[in-house]
Order: sequence, then structure tokens, then C-alpha cells
Amino acid sequence: MSTESTSAIVRNQVDLLDFIDWTGVECLNQNTSHPFPNAVKQGYREDEGLNLESDADEQLLIYIPFTQVIKLHSIVIKGPEEEGPQTVKLYTNKEHMGFSNVSDFPPSDTLVLSPENLKGKPVILKYVKFQNVRSLTIFIEDNQSGSDITKVQKMILQGTTVETTDMKGLKKIEDH
Amino acid sequence: IYDRIKSKQLSSGARKLQIPLSSSKYNHSSDFTRFLLQSSTMVLEATMICIDNSEWMRNGDYSPTRFQAQADAVNLICGAKTQSNPENTVGVLTMAGKGVRVLVTPTSDLGKILACMHGLEIGGEMNLAAGIQVAQLALKHRQNKKQQQRIIVFAGGPVKYDKKVLEMIGKKLKKNSVALDVVNFGEEDEAKAEKLEALVAAVNNNDSSHIVHVPAGSNALSDVLLSTPIFTGDGEGGSGFAAAAAAAAAGGVSGFDFGVDPNLDPELALALRVSMEEERARQEAAAKKAADDSSKQDKEGESTSQDATMSENVGTSASESENKKDDLMDDENALLQQALAMSMDDPAATVTTRDTDMSEAATDDQDLALALQLSVQEGAKDQSGQAEMDKLLADQSFVSSILASLPGVDPNDPSAEQKKDEDKAPKEDDKLQGVVHLIFE
Repeated sequence: MSTESTSAIVRNQVDLLDFIDWTGVECLNQNTSHPFPNAVKQGYREDEGLNLESDADEQLLIYIPFTQVIKLHSIVIKGPEEEGPQTVKLYTNKEHMGFSNVSDFPPSDTLVLSPENLKGKPVILKYVKFQNVRSLTIFIEDNQSGSDITKVQKMILQGTTVETTDMKGLKKIEDH
Repeated sequence: IYDRIKSKQLSSGARKLQIPLSSSKYNHSSDFTRFLLQSSTMVLEATMICIDNSEWMRNGDYSPTRFQAQADAVNLICGAKTQSNPENTVGVLTMAGKGVRVLVTPTSDLGKILACMHGLEIGGEMNLAAGIQVAQLALKHRQNKKQQQRIIVFAGGPVKYDKKVLEMIGKKLKKNSVALDVVNFGEEDEAKAEKLEALVAAVNNNDSSHIVHVPAGSNALSDVLLSTPIFTGDGEGGSGFAAAAAAAAAGGVSGFDFGVDPNLDPELALALRVSMEEERARQEAAAKKAADDSSKQDKEGESTSQDATMSENVGTSASESENKKDDLMDDENALLQQALAMSMDDPAATVTTRDTDMSEAATDDQDLALALQLSVQEGAKDQSGQAEMDKLLADQSFVSSILASLPGVDPNDPSAEQKKDEDKAPKEDDKLQGVVHLIFE
């Protein structure tokens, strides 16, 4: 983990941006002038000025369905030091969650983001829990400074798709 | 056989016009009319309506009582929502009485919603916060998660919660992307208006939430609401419904096409409009067809559509029908000629084909078209119907003379033609008589 550079993509993993099913993406409590695509879409996320911001309070609930089953390896969340997210809970394959039922079941993984993470260091996830992901729900519970607005500048999901994994995996092993 | 022809005619006519011909289905057709007439931006929405049935609703400053005015408004809203998108659902709950009670969970069944409004008891005090929270819960458990969530609150009685609490509630609604519409009526005090304004401001996201203050007066609550964004839904969707209903409420006058108010007789207005368009198309096609006699095979298909088209001339207004009739007579001859030529050319024509021909020939008949027209406009046009009947008689003789002059229709023709047309010819004349009799009965 310490050898990885801030924005390197881990070997064999791809940016899962292409596999997001945009028609089903929902983001609760987002500020409509700073919506979710700002943080995720190519081009938007590179722009430092475009953030995803929360609205009524500091929590955000993001629901991302995928076009195919994926395995999620790691995640990069970039944000400002003060208002960037701190506690992030990930739920897999739960549709249409609301803020009221985030506590109903345990998250697949809970991340506490450090300032380094907010600069772009990927957080490796418990891979075994993310082997068969059809949809991902990201619950941002609070931010670094406890302010009323949480800002996310960039979000990258890294992993592999189930169909193509085998081929690549086989090839790589043969090379060795 | 007359019944068969007539029913076949009616069913094809009804299918084309998509207007049920029985007058008892007025509501259905008016809904369809409005569906056509209004813009089709349909927001998929689940709505919970919170009704105030507190003691304050007994007051008569809104006629007849506050409660009744509210009920009318609720009925109107339910209708508008379910119309603007068939998949919309609406639910109702009461806020006062013994406690917040959900009368019906979000459903698209308008009858169920209207039924639950009966037998409501007035009493108690309105609990706004609890009402909104229960409404939110009901929406959360809606079946179709794709629906946008909306709560409509009728706040008649005083509001006992303070501004801070209401603002918290508003923020929670916004966080869960629930829109809120508030109708402030009944009790009026400054604090109440201010609180409700703060509530809606806290919820408001991109102008999706609104508040309307309705003072007591001669205007009915529903009428006032019709012009508000609560009905027009951000200026889209329900605007057609609102506009139509508002016109009706204001006693809408002419200035409409064909001199018919779509609200007074939407069936007729729709039929007129559709038939005008079809008539234009038909006349172009008829002109084309008159020039091209050789490709009769194609014409068969064309004449089918045009026969059906002609049946839609049913809806033409009395003033225009006269001109049309003259045109129709000439074209009818051409059509009849071709139809008969078709049946003569094709000895292998099956019984069904001939039956189809017959019904098509039936549609050629101005008389039958008029008969249709009469039955459709039964309710609204008794007077003009009488005039039509006179015309019918005059036309009948005219048409009979035409038919007699056409080849193949004459019963005295050689047996070869008679074999194919024997059913047709006498039946046509008899049919004319029969239909006329049917009308008069």
C-alpha cells in the first residue's frame, strides 16, 4: 500500500466508470447545482472547481447501479481537507436505500478517510465482500471538519468486471 | 345482417375515432380528449394528500363549509394527478380526529381514492408534523420506487408547532427528495402563514414545492387552486387539464375551433378535429386516386382506409357537411365503381372478402355515415339531428338513384355478375331502408 502512488491504478483493475448504469444513479441530499456527475464523470471530475456538494446537511447517499456484475477492489475519494468526507459506508446490492435505513443492516465496508486519502490515495476494500456487486450504495456519514456541507471533488471506483476477469487473470498467470 | 353491418361499422368507426359511442361513457371520453389536448409532459409521481378534518373545518366561510370545499379540491387534485400520468399514484390521510390516519395508501385507482373521502368525521386538532411524517413514511413504502415523492397538505386549522420544528421537518423532506405543496386556507393568522412559508422554503428544491394562500370568499377553493402551480405542476403536465377545467369554470365560450367548447362536448370537439384532419388527407388521396384508375389493386387498400376515413366524417359540423356531401357523392361513385370492379375482377373472392366489401360499400353510404353521426351526437345534437334526418331522406333517394345507375348494382344485370353481386345489390337497397328504419326507431 505504501508503494502505490497517489493516483496510480492498481494492476489489473480498471476504472469502473464505463460500467455505471447512469439511468439508475441516484444521489440523495445533493445540491442540484453541484450534483453527483461532477465528481464522477470524465472531465468533470478533473476540474477542481466542480464538486459534489451536499444540501440540507452533511450526509450524502449515493446509489450506483452497474451495467454488469463487477468486483470492486479499491476506491479513490478526493475532496477538500475540511469538507471532504470522513466516514464512508459502502453497501452492496441494496436498492433504493434511504437515510432512515442505513442503520438497518451492516455495511459491507466502512472507511474512515484520512487527509491522504482525500488527496487521492486509493483505499483498498475488503475484496472478499465485493466479489459480486450489481449496485453500490455509498453513504457519506460525516466530513472531516463537521461542517454542514460535504464536498467531494473526485470519486474513482476501481475493480474488474466478472466476465472479463477470467481471461485477463489467466493471461497474467501464464506470463508468470 | 343489418345488425352485423351496423355493428361492424360502429366497431371500426369507434376504433378509428377511439371514442366510445355510448353516451354513458362521457367521463372516459373526456379524459381521453384531455389527454390528447393537453401537453404530454408526464412526471411520474406518488402523492400523499394530507386532509385537515379538525373542528375548525366546520366553518362556513368557504362555501358550503371549509371541509366540503377541501373535499372538492382534493377530488380535483386526484383527478389531475391520475390523468397526467396513468402510473401516478395518490394516497390520502387525515391529520386531525383521534390521530393521524391513512385512509388510502398510494394507488392509481381513482374510484378507491374518491370513495374513502366519504363518511369522514370532523373533530380534533390538526397535527401537522405527525401528518407530514406519516405521509413521508407512506411514500417511502410506495411500490414503484421510480416515482417522485410529493406531499400535499391542506392546512385549515391553526398550526401549533413552532417555526424551528417545521424547518427541521422541511429539511428532512428535502434530504429525502420529497416535494411539498401547502394549501393555506381557513384560519388566518400571521404566525401560521409565516410558519408555513418557512416550511415550504426549507423543503423547496428547484421550485418543486409551492405554497398557496387561499383567503375566504366567493371563489371556490378548487377554482383558486386550478391556476396555481399545484395543479399546473411547474407549468407543464397538468396545465392542459387545468386550462380546460378553468375554462369550464369560467363559463368558457366560443372562440374554439368548430364553435364547440371542448369542455361542453369533448366527444364532438375531438371528432370534429380528427375528422377535419382526416378529411384533408382523404381529399388529397381521393384526388390522387381519381387520376389513377389502372392500379386498382392498390386502390383496394386505399379505399379501405378511405372508407374508414369517410366514416369519420361523421363528426363534421352541420355547416361543413353539406359541402362535404357534394364531394362525397362524386367520390362515392368512383369508390363504388372500383369496389364493384374489384369484386368482378376477382372471382376467387372469398365470402369474407365480400363481406368486407359489403361493409366497405356500407361505409360508402352517406346514409350510414349519417346514421353513425346521429348516434354519436345523440345527446348533444337533437335539433341538428332533425335537420340531418331530413337531409338523410333527400340523400337517400339521390344515392339510390346513383346506385341504380352504376354497373353491377342493377339487379337486372347478367347472371355472371349477379352471382358475385347478387348478395350485394339487393342488400344495399334493403340495407339503406333498414338503416333508415333503425334510426327512426
